[in-house]
Amino acid sequence: MAYMSMGEAHRKITEYLNRFSNAVSSQDGTSFKSLFTISSNSHYLLSLADALNLFQDYNRLIKQSNNYSQIVDIVTPLFRSLQNYRQGNLVETYHAFEKTANAFIQEFRNWESAWALEALYVIVYEIRVLAEKADKELASNGKSPEKLKGAGSLLMKVFGSLAGKGSKRVGALYVTCQLFKIYFKLGTVHLCRSVIRSIETARIFDFEEFPKRDKVTYMYYTGRLEVFNENFPAADHKLSYALKHCNPQSEANIRLILKHLIPVKLSIGILPKDRLLERYNLLEYSNIVQALRRGDLRLLRCALQDHEDRFLRSGVYLVLEKLELQVYQRLVKKIHIIQKQRDPSRAHQVKLEVIVKALKWLEIDMDVDEVECIMAILIYKNLVKGYFAHKSKVVVLSKQDPFPKLNGKPVNS
Amino acid sequence: MANDGSNTGTLAPAESNLFEHRHLDTSHYQPSAYAPATTGSEAVSWTIHNSTANGIYSNPTYQHDQHPQPPGGSIQDGQNVTPVTGNTSNLGTANVPHDYSAYTSHPSSGYYTSYQQQPSHTYSQPVGAYQNTGAPYQPISSFQNTGSYASSASYSSTYYNPGDYQTTGGYQNSGGYENQATTWNNGTYSSYSSQPYTNYAPDSSGSHSSGVAATSVQYQQHYKQWEGYYNQTEVSCAPGTENLSVTSSYTSGCPIPSATSGYATPVATSGYATPKSQPPQYWRQESSSSIMPSFQPAAGNSGGDHDGYWKQWAQTSQIHQTNPIQPTYQSPLDLKSSYDKFQDQQKTTSSEGTGLHYLPPPPPLPTPQQVNPAPLQSAPYLDTRQVQIQTNPRIASNLAYGQPKTEKDSSTTSVAQKPAYIAVSLPKPTEKVSSGGDANSILKPGMFPKSLRGYVERALARCKDDKQMAACQAVMKEMITKATADGTLSTQNWDMEPLFPMPDANVVNKDSSLSSTPDSLLPKYKRSPRRSKSRWEPLPEEKPVDNPASISNDSVKYSGWVPSENDRKVVMENKGSKEDVFRNSKFSLSIQRTPSKAPQRAFKKQRLADASFASENGDASSDSDKEQSLTAYYPAIMAFSDTPEERKRREYRSKRFELGQGHRSENNHFRKKNAGAGNVYNRRASALVLSKSFEDGVSEAVEDINWDALTVKGTCQEIEKRYLRLTSAPDPATVRPEEILEKALLMVQSSQKNYLYKCDQLKSIRQDLTVQRIRNQLTVKVYETHARLTLEFGDLPEFNQCQSQLKTLYAEGIKGSYMEFAAYNLLCVILHSNNNRDLVSSMSRLSGEAKKNEAVKHALAVRAAVTSGNYVRFFRLYKAAPNLNTCLMELSVEKMRYKAVSCMCRSYRPSVPVSYVSQVLGFSTIVLTNGVSEEKDTDGLEECLEWLKAHGASIITDNNGDMLLDTKASSSTLFVPEPEDAVAHGDANLAVNDFFAKPTL
Repeated sequence: MAYMSMGEAHRKITEYLNRFSNAVSSQDGTSFKSLFTISSNSHYLLSLADALNLFQDYNRLIKQSNNYSQIVDIVTPLFRSLQNYRQGNLVETYHAFEKTANAFIQEFRNWESAWALEALYVIVYEIRVLAEKADKELASNGKSPEKLKGAGSLLMKVFGSLAGKGSKRVGALYVTCQLFKIYFKLGTVHLCRSVIRSIETARIFDFEEFPKRDKVTYMYYTGRLEVFNENFPAADHKLSYALKHCNPQSEANIRLILKHLIPVKLSIGILPKDRLLERYNLLEYSNIVQALRRGDLRLLRCALQDHEDRFLRSGVYLVLEKLELQVYQRLVKKIHIIQKQRDPSRAHQVKLEVIVKALKWLEIDMDVDEVECIMAILIYKNLVKGYFAHKSKVVVLSKQDPFPKLNGKPVNS
Repeated sequence: MANDGSNTGTLAPAESNLFEHRHLDTSHYQPSAYAPATTGSEAVSWTIHNSTANGIYSNPTYQHDQHPQPPGGSIQDGQNVTPVTGNTSNLGTANVPHDYSAYTSHPSSGYYTSYQQQPSHTYSQPVGAYQNTGAPYQPISSFQNTGSYASSASYSSTYYNPGDYQTTGGYQNSGGYENQATTWNNGTYSSYSSQPYTNYAPDSSGSHSSGVAATSVQYQQHYKQWEGYYNQTEVSCAPGTENLSVTSSYTSGCPIPSATSGYATPVATSGYATPKSQPPQYWRQESSSSIMPSFQPAAGNSGGDHDGYWKQWAQTSQIHQTNPIQPTYQSPLDLKSSYDKFQDQQKTTSSEGTGLHYLPPPPPLPTPQQVNPAPLQSAPYLDTRQVQIQTNPRIASNLAYGQPKTEKDSSTTSVAQKPAYIAVSLPKPTEKVSSGGDANSILKPGMFPKSLRGYVERALARCKDDKQMAACQAVMKEMITKATADGTLSTQNWDMEPLFPMPDANVVNKDSSLSSTPDSLLPKYKRSPRRSKSRWEPLPEEKPVDNPASISNDSVKYSGWVPSENDRKVVMENKGSKEDVFRNSKFSLSIQRTPSKAPQRAFKKQRLADASFASENGDASSDSDKEQSLTAYYPAIMAFSDTPEERKRREYRSKRFELGQGHRSENNHFRKKNAGAGNVYNRRASALVLSKSFEDGVSEAVEDINWDALTVKGTCQEIEKRYLRLTSAPDPATVRPEEILEKALLMVQSSQKNYLYKCDQLKSIRQDLTVQRIRNQLTVKVYETHARLTLEFGDLPEFNQCQSQLKTLYAEGIKGSYMEFAAYNLLCVILHSNNNRDLVSSMSRLSGEAKKNEAVKHALAVRAAVTSGNYVRFFRLYKAAPNLNTCLMELSVEKMRYKAVSCMCRSYRPSVPVSYVSQVLGFSTIVLTNGVSEEKDTDGLEECLEWLKAHGASIITDNNGDMLLDTKASSSTLFVPEPEDAVAHGDANLAVNDFFAKPTL
């Protein structure tokens, strides 16, 4: 921190206040929003924070001028927040910023137009980010991290102030997305439902009119929710929408979308090209795709085990695990093809012991009963057409299309 | 509401006790019901209405959460407001002196004093909660404060004059409660006090202080009236006064609503008056009823009393009528507007009403004060009175709104609204005479303008019989009081005034019948049966209250009791009229009992109210039965009450409760106790602190409570203890300390008794732990033990409770069988909640170490088997489950089997041997060749066969005699049968037989 004179500090603070009041009076949203970006570590705000720490009596400055009278409630805690942020007191930062946000919402409600929407976005974002940081600090101090939860309810309040008609409604989806982020992080995903409902049932506003970026985020999160519900067609739809409209420049986002979309696609029988996995660095899926192609159960299990944590965290583990049945199907199909090459007339009868042997080769230890059970399930789920003869321990395949493809439909459950 | 009172006293805490409020209300209600019982059955019904309405509504309002309740709620809130209480106290004090003076002038000064005491008593209890009001009052109360009491006294005095009446009076309570000094007074009045007490209790919920004030006001009015009465006509005056008092009481009752609605805004006096209003009404009614009997011996006078009484009723009925009209009032916000409206309504009512009865008291409303010898009182009184009057309609409105559901309301309203006159001719010669005489007598003084008299005569001319006449008179009385209150009595053109619709004679008649018939025959004793009626619900209480749940509530009342008994003894000794005392005691007993029962019925308020209403108003068939039973019962009570055993029992009972609270039974403490009685209701939230504060005379706001200091340290040494859900703050004497709990746990673990017993014991251990805030390894052990037990018996809901507690306990770092329960948790999620997100999150929470744990591994394997539908694997895991995983799995075995069989039926052709199914689906152990296991196998086969048949599978037999499952035929016929052991409550473990088998401890 460079040395700063008292006068300079005074000047900086006054300048900030002037900027602030000018932005409000001229309704300049762009320059307004830059005044709130605490966590962006912008040079401007950092030096302002230094000035504030140097010049403690800034309250007098704020009160001195009538110009600032409206903004006192916003600026005072904001300054405190900046100071604390600079000093690394993240919990205090959050507390002060929460006050700022409340005061801002108060003002925002009074502004007829939505000119300050950009600033509101910044504030909403800062609330979430600062809350996360504050929680980290709390957790490291052995206290219970609860700020993010508080941020969630604060954002619900913001959402309420936007949810009416009018131009401000455009901002509702952004807040919703921030809420999603909080809820997913907190694991209180069930809270999303009410927000989703109010977005999807309010027909005053066409979904397509929301900003694209918010739409993509929204679709991404709701798609993820559908993955949890194992509603694969819906998940496919939403995630595909997100993928399609996502800015191709933001590869990280595309990767995130693909991370959930690929398992969904796999479970409805659509395999990605290796190129795609490479391009977006999703190689954890490559073995799984490989296993599906080859009918290699061992590979699938290994892949699942290797990346278990990752899959569990993103919530796709169970989806991937269910791919086992497709791998079995592939295995039986392979056996069938081989048999056909040898003896086309008896190819439709696959002996159980052959399958058991094949699994043995894969070092999968399953006895006859278990494999029989798997075969029964395959038939039951319509992955294999035919029947099982218990007496002779033979899978009798249908002569017509014995291994129906999923073609975008989920496996019967 | 007593609790509320306490709240007000502390000021802030009102919201804190939602529950308490309700409890209080209930208790209050019941008491209220009782109170009426003592005096007149009719009164009872009324009180119930009011109280219930207020109580119910008020409670919700307090809490804000619950139902937005119409007026009633708001009203009570207003009462709750502390400023109001302050006012009340002021009023009370102010009034008291006045009354007192007035009384002294009267010949029956002794009575008055006694009365005063009574009121004070009543006050003290409700006040107890309110402390503020209470404090000022009590000191005064002994003599002067009773202003409010004085009113009661006035009743009593009327009653007492007859002499018989006194016995009926509250007797013990009053003496016990507050003033020991006036022992004899207490004796006589104690009964009264008890009644008021009960009444107040209901009030207390709404606004104790206010209620008190109102009463005081009313009393004052009474006094004045009395004075006036005395001046004018001696005998007739009594009834007149009563009537007046009644009306005044009504007015006061009205103020209550106003107070609630208005809250702070209305003048303090008004506010006060309002809260009290309903109870006062009851009182008066009671008094009137009581008076009636006393008078009856006096012939003409008695008739007057009746009339007055009836009139009161009629007024009440009118009030009801008004209610529907005044919905606007109920909105608490429009205080002023509502006021005006009320006034208007009242005016209308008054104008409509017959002015007949009013004459005795100084006709102009303000004048009554003048009448009073004490000039000082006049100004405040006037104000209060007017306010009250105005407010009255509100009360009615409240009632109507608040309890539209209750039968009583409907009935009353309907009655009121129906002019239709159902003449039920009940031969009551005395009444007729009296009524006629009264009407005339009332009119005679010439106090009223001619036009009014004409009006009254016209109105009465319509009446076909006594009942109607009485009803009319009541109506008119109300009208007149209102008119006087409004000052329109003389200015109004009564000739132009349309006659009011004929009041429903039924109610009145019933009341009258109840009161009159017995009165005419035997003033005292018959009356007692009436009371018994009102108490009649409580009567069964002859048995000591055994229900432990109700104890807490009861305790309050009991505390009130105890002193009363002591006083009573004193009274007995000191008093000349022992008979009276005895009667009193008897009455008091019955009365007291009723309250004790009341708490138990907290939730049945409405029903109670209805019942009481029915019983009192003679709601047809049921009533007569009740009456008979009551009358039959009554002598027994009488006999009981004085027997030493009975007394002992009672004392024992009361002591029991006192001990529970750590109170001394010393007289010195009585008052404090009384004051604290209201608080007792609060016990749940802050019992200990408050109870302590009683003794100290210090109250604490609920939020100031130091919970650490509150934590109970158990002293119970019993190892065995039945679980009972706490309905109040825990009593250290029944809570076991940690070392005993450890023994208890061991005892349960080694016990051979059935699941229900163990579950019960464990729950009580858990409760004791919770109550003492013990969270350590013992806690974990208890929960683990209980969780395992529930698993063994498949009691999932209970298991989930334990599991969630264990989760937090483990999270606090307390050691236990974490792995085992992690596995259970997994299984639970997998098998029973079927929520993928939960599953994923609990899986991701497992540490690497946990995944190596045998039980967890097993659970994960089960999960894999379930998600893939691998039934073979599932049943293998089922057979090899560690710990109690089996038990959890067992709960989903049926589901898995069914799925497996339907899968088999779809995929296998043409058939599957049953033996294979049996083996794969875990019916039999894996087929072995040696003989021993084969035997088992056949068992399993049988079982499997039965299971398959029960699920609609079609079984065929092949050439070798082996059973085969015909898959094709079965695939379309499979179904899930209704579980054979299904029980209505969904848990076979709780089948009735087990309940009966439950050991008695």
